[in-house]
Amino acid sequence: MNENRTPSAVDPNRRRWLQVLAAAPVLAGAAAAPVPARAAVKTSTRIVIAGSGLGGIAVANRLARMLDGARITIIDRKEEHNYQPGYTLVATGVWPVEKVQDRNADYQPAGVEWVKDMVAGFDPSANTVVTAGGQRIPYDFLVVAVGVQLDYAQIEGMDVGAIGTDKAPGLTSVYPGPQAAQATWAAMQAFTAKGGNAVMTLPATPLKCAGAPLKMSFMLRDRLFKAGTLGSSKISFQSALGNVFGVKVVNDNVLERWKALGIDVEFSRRLTAIDIGARRATFMSPEGEKQEMPYDFIHVVPPMRAPDAVKNSDLAWKEGPFAAGGWLEVDKGTLQHRRFPNVFGIGDINGTPRGKTAATVKKSAPLVAHNLVEVIAGRKADEAFDGYTSCPLITREGSAMLIEFDYEGRLTPSLPMIEPLNDSFFAWLMKYRMLKPAYMAVLKGRV
Amino acid sequence: MYEIWLAMNIVWEIALGFWPLLALGAAAWLVLLVLAWRQPAAHWRRAWPVAAGVAAAAALIGFLIVPTTTRSSLQELAYWVDWANLASIALGIGVAALAFAWPASVLWRRSIINR
Repeated sequence: MNENRTPSAVDPNRRRWLQVLAAAPVLAGAAAAPVPARAAVKTSTRIVIAGSGLGGIAVANRLARMLDGARITIIDRKEEHNYQPGYTLVATGVWPVEKVQDRNADYQPAGVEWVKDMVAGFDPSANTVVTAGGQRIPYDFLVVAVGVQLDYAQIEGMDVGAIGTDKAPGLTSVYPGPQAAQATWAAMQAFTAKGGNAVMTLPATPLKCAGAPLKMSFMLRDRLFKAGTLGSSKISFQSALGNVFGVKVVNDNVLERWKALGIDVEFSRRLTAIDIGARRATFMSPEGEKQEMPYDFIHVVPPMRAPDAVKNSDLAWKEGPFAAGGWLEVDKGTLQHRRFPNVFGIGDINGTPRGKTAATVKKSAPLVAHNLVEVIAGRKADEAFDGYTSCPLITREGSAMLIEFDYEGRLTPSLPMIEPLNDSFFAWLMKYRMLKPAYMAVLKGRV
Repeated sequence: MYEIWLAMNIVWEIALGFWPLLALGAAAWLVLLVLAWRQPAAHWRRAWPVAAGVAAAAALIGFLIVPTTTRSSLQELAYWVDWANLASIALGIGVAALAFAWPASVLWRRSIINR
């Protein structure tokens, strides 16, 4: 080979390397760059975002880029940001608890005012939010993102603080937060070491992550199997409804799997009381008939409703299927309030047919931000949400089903080759490794 | 298009979690590349078979161990989407290995010639 080549005689291989080298930062930077956006709309409007969960912060990040001059205020006392879709992984020993704990301050956009107080009430006629500390905060536009209220109080004898303590052996619940999820895993380990009688519950209200009770059941069975105590154990799933999942084809699939796995299911049985010391749960049928069940392990899923601030305000549905829970009265397409057009809803608080998951926020946050900007600009909210939501339903450690569906309960896989009802490594990998990064991108308002 | 954008963001967010390691790796790769380029007689073509062999071995190892490192197993590969997905990850590992192995192989061949 010629050792005295001039630069122009550089071989094609070398040139290709240089091209790749030059392109790499561009490709990497593309994902880090803000969403390709139109020119920001100039406005001096006051926007209040009530709640700083995924929905609230995702919309705040988007609005901060889409608007020039708007005064955006986030109201929420909570300083910790929790990756809630990871709770079931913590509660079943797949993830350490640190993976679901973060700081809200790290994700709020610059220039946004953060009022560290809880929302105590809404006065939409006066365009004002009232905080627990007594502040009255006026707005021109409001985004309600306050999430759900876990209504454990409806279960007599339930003590959330006792989860994971000696006071309540075998008492678990994945919903309250990271500590409860961690305590649930400790209780699951103790239970699977010996085996026994496990009771899994499901309330009749709309649920945040309706797949979580099913995942917990699948994983408990898997843990018993791996511990070698499945033979001396019994898992019984008590549903307050006539099904275990709202999408029929998924419901049927899960029931078929559970039949094969030996998980018993009983319907129309609502958990009304629990004796955490004596380890007895009381269920009630629609006819008012009570039945007590002893347990060695119980997973309590609380009834859920809108937080009082919404439930007791004019923003709540006043009639129809969402009135009892006090959910936010939004149009299910535009997510704009049906009576107060300067109010939008995002996330779990919305009184819509389905969708209380992070995946719902992933698809609806861009739409809410867009529709709100349209309304600020004096136009009509023109984008409609189809109710997309997703549930990576873990069937055992290492395998899951990736179920995506819309308001109508139609399966809507993002990639056409995905078989939603096949449990697979791919769906597991999504849940285990990829959905948290996707969540972070949503939180930052990029996807 | 949305799915591509989402996938790019997922990769970016995963990379953010390892950025010191990635930065170190990128620096090491650049050093390796510069050293190989500066060789008076860089036999890139002749170095290819060894580099390709290393890359293929890395891809194969990746294929075999990635399920275990994600608390799953090869037994959980249920249908072609699983196989294609795992093959893509293994391919990525192979390409990364190739990026290091090729210039390293050039240097290695040169050092043998110089002996």
